[in-house]
Amino acid sequence: MHTVALVLSDSRFPGGGHVHSGGLEEAAARGLVSDIRSLGLFLAGRLRTAGELAAIFAAASVKCHEWSTLDEELDARTPSPAQREASRAQGRATVRAGRRAWPSPVLDSLVQATPRPHHAIVLGALTGIAGGSSADAALTAAYLSVSGPASAAIRLLGLDPFAVNAQVTRLGEAIQAVADRAVSVAGLPPADLPGPGAPGLDLLAEAHVRHHKEEVRLFAS
Amino acid sequence: MKAHARVVAELVDGRTVLRELRSQSPLTLVPHRGKPGLVHLVNSASAPLGGDELDLTLIAGPGAALRIAGVAASLVLPGPKPALSRFTVHVEAAEGSTVEYLPEATVVTQRAHHAAVFTGSLEPSARLIVREMLVLGREGESPGRLTSETTVRRGERPVLSQRLEIDSLIASPAVLAGRRVLATDLRVGYEDPPSAVAGEWCSLVPLAAGGSLATALAHDAVAAQRMIGLLNRSG
Amino acid sequence: MQADHVHTHPVNFDPTWSEPDHHEPAAEQGRAYRIGIGGPVGSGKTALTAALCRAFRGELNLAVVTNDIYTTEDADFLRRAGVLDVDRIEAVQTGCCPHTAIRDDITANLDAVETLEERHPGLELVIIESGGDNLTAVFSRGLVDRQIFVVDVAGGDKVPRKGGPGVTTADLLVINKIDLAPLVGADLEVMASDAARMRGELPVIAQSLAETPDAPVVADWVRSQLPVRTG
Ligand SMILES: Nc1nc2c(ncn2[C@@H]2O[C@H](COP(=O)(O)OP(=O)(O)OP(=O)(O)O)[C@@H](O)[C@H]2O)c(=O)[nH]1
Ligand SMILES: [Mg+2]
Repeated sequence: MHTVALVLSDSRFPGGGHVHSGGLEEAAARGLVSDIRSLGLFLAGRLRTAGELAAIFAAASVKCHEWSTLDEELDARTPSPAQREASRAQGRATVRAGRRAWPSPVLDSLVQATPRPHHAIVLGALTGIAGGSSADAALTAAYLSVSGPASAAIRLLGLDPFAVNAQVTRLGEAIQAVADRAVSVAGLPPADLPGPGAPGLDLLAEAHVRHHKEEVRLFAS
Repeated sequence: MKAHARVVAELVDGRTVLRELRSQSPLTLVPHRGKPGLVHLVNSASAPLGGDELDLTLIAGPGAALRIAGVAASLVLPGPKPALSRFTVHVEAAEGSTVEYLPEATVVTQRAHHAAVFTGSLEPSARLIVREMLVLGREGESPGRLTSETTVRRGERPVLSQRLEIDSLIASPAVLAGRRVLATDLRVGYEDPPSAVAGEWCSLVPLAAGGSLATALAHDAVAAQRMIGLLNRSG
Repeated sequence: MQADHVHTHPVNFDPTWSEPDHHEPAAEQGRAYRIGIGGPVGSGKTALTAALCRAFRGELNLAVVTNDIYTTEDADFLRRAGVLDVDRIEAVQTGCCPHTAIRDDITANLDAVETLEERHPGLELVIIESGGDNLTAVFSRGLVDRQIFVVDVAGGDKVPRKGGPGVTTADLLVINKIDLAPLVGADLEVMASDAARMRGELPVIAQSLAETPDAPVVADWVRSQLPVRTG
């Protein structure tokens, strides 16, 4: 594993991730996630859907630099506007941090083609720029898909951080499996990349936005 | 069993005519007598069964309007040997044409292993409506395995590409939240909602490349249908 | 770990050596001046923000970013006070970590500032109100040019003595609600001398927004900090 994967997946990376709960806030507000067990189920489902999609596009973006094409294809795999917005907000933030850490004409070309790129694509681009592999990018994206919501669960529900950490650790093999599958398809033409969907997350994301207009939401997504 | 059914619709003197209509058991296509361009899809056997490979191709020429309507729910059953059943629908819609694909629900029974594939390739001015209702298991039954894949492109641009895998994780709030019915309604080439409309377990959203998708998760088909209906009206 | 990676950039391990950064925003001079207002819950951050908005009305092209968890609350207050148009207020979500949003990961706030700058060309001043937090919460220098830390006498006269980065390092310390001092038995002299001891040369202003709703002394301090305007 390349150090870029560690830097990008570190929760201290200043890429705006801490204000996104990945649907956890909405799920918690509805009582769908309330304890370690229900959190585990939420995270496992998130990993296999949104996590796998992110891993696929992160892995693909390490070597493929057809930014507009990748952007359109990921858009088509993200039907929820709230999810697209959350992805682009984090992508933009990651670019901001990444430009200082790994300045590169490759990154410039990405921003030129897509000023607010999707998060997964930025993760892949930065990983490639830093010298990391598709496997590094996929693992980073897969891990981030659960680590952010897990930390949000600690903050929102006051869950025992040791128990939450153990829960994330228990997903280790599944995270690796998702990353492996992503790497195995990463070389396909962008149009042929799989698009694992997450109807539950999409609906939670849209409801989150709607609720945000009516009452308090502490996370952006 | 392998079967390939096919419909080709064309616009002739301002009227849609069915240039070609090929049924192959268990896919039986019955044209409506009064309404040109309306075809009923009748699943003759209780199909598909494990091992079946069914293909349906729908082609609309320039300006033609084709509507395929289901008659009854199709029950996906495991075959005598454990094998995947697959139902592929492919739509090609030329300039100015309209294709509506409105099947009844697909019920995935216990131990079935089914893949539902929909691909649409539209010219920029074509219109498409696709309705899908997946029911995971009959009442009180745990479902088999299902992969549902939808890919629609308009001109050069991808409109929607989604793959759903139903397995042990359907209980996760991230996936189906333990709800048995997933209904979707995709429209391309119609007026899109200016912004998303969302309820607790349903939403109507504009897609990035144009088109809109209504989604509902419910405990039964009637509730899912009602949510979709409300959404499409309020949009 | 990086065995097969060939470095193309020269690497310098001297921590005091800094590479010229080609990616620093080009027109730093052109952007709005940013002032952060931090401090414990209820000390008067929003009230001070409103006071400054009033003080600068007609004088400066300004906007506000609020980090309050009740995202609409502060915005509503400013709106009701009639001091600022709705489209000059941006609220950010801080994911339950108000200090992270102003210090460790300033992304959401930077996005909000940029949104306001795009919406209001020629913006001169952006006031960023942090969510109420503890005495250790300070703004990152990457987010604000100057920061004001607001404490109040209602928390007791021990607050300046306790110190913490907010009290000791903020560019301006405001001791607010001095009108309440007699009621809570807070000794203003003790507060002032503790503050001076903790802060050295850095300025301290004791005020009451109840008595001087436009915060004239703080407004003057802000004016003294603003870059000289050309044209
Ligand atoms: N008596 C008195 N009350 C004040 C003064 N300044 C503010 N207040 C009151 O103190 C209360 C809290 O003020 P805010 O401005 O909302 O405080 P804040 O720091 O923004 O609070 P949070 O954002 O919740 O952390 C309000 O009821 C104000 O009216 C003052 O100088 N004297
Ligand atoms: Mg406030």
